[in-house]
Amino acid sequence: MQIKILRPGLHTSIQDLGRNNFLSQAVPVSGAMDSLSARIANLAIGNGENDALLEFTYGNAAFKCETDILMAYAGGGSNLVALGELLPSRRAIFVPAGTVVDLVNNEHGVRTYLSVAGGWDVEEVLGSRSTYLPAGFGGYQGRLLKKGDLLRSCSSLGPSTTSLLGKLRGESVKQASWAIPYNFLRSENANTVRIFAGREITWFEGRSVIDLLAEPFTIDLKSNRMGISLKGPQMERAITKELLSTGVCPGTIQVTGNGDMILLMADCQTTGGYPRIAQVASVDIPLCAQLKPSEEIYFSLIDHNEAELLLFQQQAEMKKLSQAIHNKL
Amino acid sequence: MIDQETKIYALSESSVTVVLGDEISSQMAEKVSALNSAIHNSPFEGLITTIPAYATLTLYYDPEKVIHSRLAGESAYQKVSGYLSALSVSRISKENSTRLITVPVCYGGTYGPDLELVARHSKLTTDEVITLHASATYTVYMIGFIPGFAYMGGMDTRLSTPRKQQPRTQVNAGSVGIAANQTGIYPLDIPGGWQIIGQTPIQLFNASRPEPSYLKAGDTVRFKPLTINEFKSLTS
Repeated sequence: MQIKILRPGLHTSIQDLGRNNFLSQAVPVSGAMDSLSARIANLAIGNGENDALLEFTYGNAAFKCETDILMAYAGGGSNLVALGELLPSRRAIFVPAGTVVDLVNNEHGVRTYLSVAGGWDVEEVLGSRSTYLPAGFGGYQGRLLKKGDLLRSCSSLGPSTTSLLGKLRGESVKQASWAIPYNFLRSENANTVRIFAGREITWFEGRSVIDLLAEPFTIDLKSNRMGISLKGPQMERAITKELLSTGVCPGTIQVTGNGDMILLMADCQTTGGYPRIAQVASVDIPLCAQLKPSEEIYFSLIDHNEAELLLFQQQAEMKKLSQAIHNKL
Repeated sequence: MIDQETKIYALSESSVTVVLGDEISSQMAEKVSALNSAIHNSPFEGLITTIPAYATLTLYYDPEKVIHSRLAGESAYQKVSGYLSALSVSRISKENSTRLITVPVCYGGTYGPDLELVARHSKLTTDEVITLHASATYTVYMIGFIPGFAYMGGMDTRLSTPRKQQPRTQVNAGSVGIAANQTGIYPLDIPGGWQIIGQTPIQLFNASRPEPSYLKAGDTVRFKPLTINEFKSLTS
């Protein structure tokens, strides 16, 4: 299967679930910002969870199916439209060769993940197909997609994907009769982000910690795949000593010298020297990946143990879902 | 391994950090290295990787594998903490555990645009700066900031120079810099604020190598001065 990029959109790259094995050499995790949507887009067509997808940022993008395509998409950044019809998200869709698919802005989020049967075929670099732009490796030639780029899928398909393709293949656009349910997998309130205390939380004034848990914060325009800048009350220091650079990871909220908070995301550095006031629960990081500039969020405090339990619950739900799909196909 | 000063905390649901102290020193780097070796010599089920830093070691793990492992504890975090508490760390002898790596450097000129600034700041001649920089033995404290960037200690304190007030918009890959008491090498072309005194023809980071970073935490490093012609013949 092959597509040609007609309009690449704002920031489009190939991602999978990231690379973990070279963190000690300061190679960031990278991978899909909203890993939950990425996994759902893969699951919907029977792919492996870690197969490579396209991560689009907002809409205003388009591609042409050069061959018949079996695909799915998930994430709130755009809606896919073909031949004037809205294509549903989180659902397997067959699109015949020659069809142009447009990505149209969707106000619900930022990023959209497009999976293809078998996953997009790019070389694995350091154990992952994710693009890491600052060092120019991984994904599609280590760069963002451009107009005219041709993307091919891997030719080997799993049994579920093959069966799905057999059922949907035809002369016209056709969708599976079922979609992946979504809401139970994520937090009920998309504007509340659950956090647990960061190692240096006691370095901050009590008043600032209260602000952190009571006041709204807005997403700054400067946000990108490395981090999300948060605007709101300044976090004031009670203890002003310097932190020796130490390990940080996606989800870490660090406070810069002027009291602003930065939520580290997929492409973040592996070490950092800013004090860490909080850590976002893993299950809520995907939600953060969909926050738009000027959007307001609140933080709510849980403890680390609860965050771990939430993660296990979500994993169990995903496993059940995956099993159900494979049984169905 | 756990002595009075050692502390363990959860960084995320899939990582914990062990705090060994609160200083930048080669003794501390050795402690971090010893712990790192002990972990890799008897890893627990689900361990993914470790990140050594100045005085901490962060362990990444797969929480699902850990929770189903036979380690004692109610949560993945407890299980990993328990593993760490029970781990015995032998004092490593430096000789057989560290690599000695010689990094050739062409000092000054277009390769080291801040050499004269460092000399003025240190009240030394540029030749003296080169001699001092190339005669010390360095320890890689950690790889951080960007892929393959090595923070090294062991520099002669006379060369200590603060970072630039305004970072350069572009520092060439291979540039050798000074920031306070540390020296480091830029692995990629990026903006940066270290005082650049020279450049190495060695590729510090290359994603197509099986081990992409040329240097690792714990390595011992020496610099060897190169002439411009030697530099050019090595890069051509």
